[in-house]
Amino acid sequence: MSNLQSSTINHQYPTVFKITNDPIDLDSLLASITLPSTGAACVFTGMVRGVTKRDDPHETAYLEYEAYIPMAEAKMKQVADEIRERWSSVEGIAVVQRIGRLEPMTPTVLIACTAAHRDTGVFEAARYGIDRLKEIVPVWKKEVGPNGEEWVEGEYLPSEKDKS
Amino acid sequence: MKLNILFFATLRDKAKTKSVELTLNEGLTVADLKTELATRFPELASSLPTTIVSRNKEFANSDEVLKDGDEVAVFPPVSGG
Repeated sequence: MSNLQSSTINHQYPTVFKITNDPIDLDSLLASITLPSTGAACVFTGMVRGVTKRDDPHETAYLEYEAYIPMAEAKMKQVADEIRERWSSVEGIAVVQRIGRLEPMTPTVLIACTAAHRDTGVFEAARYGIDRLKEIVPVWKKEVGPNGEEWVEGEYLPSEKDKS
Repeated sequence: MKLNILFFATLRDKAKTKSVELTLNEGLTVADLKTELATRFPELASSLPTTIVSRNKEFANSDEVLKDGDEVAVFPPVSGG
């Protein structure tokens, strides 16, 4: 297939990215990135963990998320673009971050990638997507527990390669 | 020149404001802006070494020059997901 055809087809692949206050609707997101040629989807979703056992064991009453929305959505698009650069097999991509007050057991984030078959890199693509989101998408969470509240701070300091 | 600076997360709490409009000298770099913020908001000083600065919704290097009307935001390393 020529590059021209490939890029024309690529253009039709759906990319969904948003920051939302609403519950994450897995069925409708999956439908929006499923094409007639799709045979596999890898979905990663993270939720609020009420009881943490690893590292610093503690309990969480709820998390309060906020975002710099216009930049966050631009950076989500960049994450999707980076996925497409690395895995040309990926068809649809959804990147969604929920914000506001979120209780334990509530999904907070979703990354989904679809492809024709499961052995095309979709698992790795979704993994890359959540790892990158946690590095470059400007969203923060404040953790509220029995002993008060505290902002969770990441560690990643962006550099030139993180610009789009 | 005038710049509107947005604060997020810990920086907003410490500055006690979501945004501030500052009148600053032309040619100001991102590093200069951090120095300026430390003067105007002493409570931010300890956070500034790890503070990320964005300019028009893109990460900005410390030697980048800011322009009149730029949308600038300052925030800690992100913790979404």
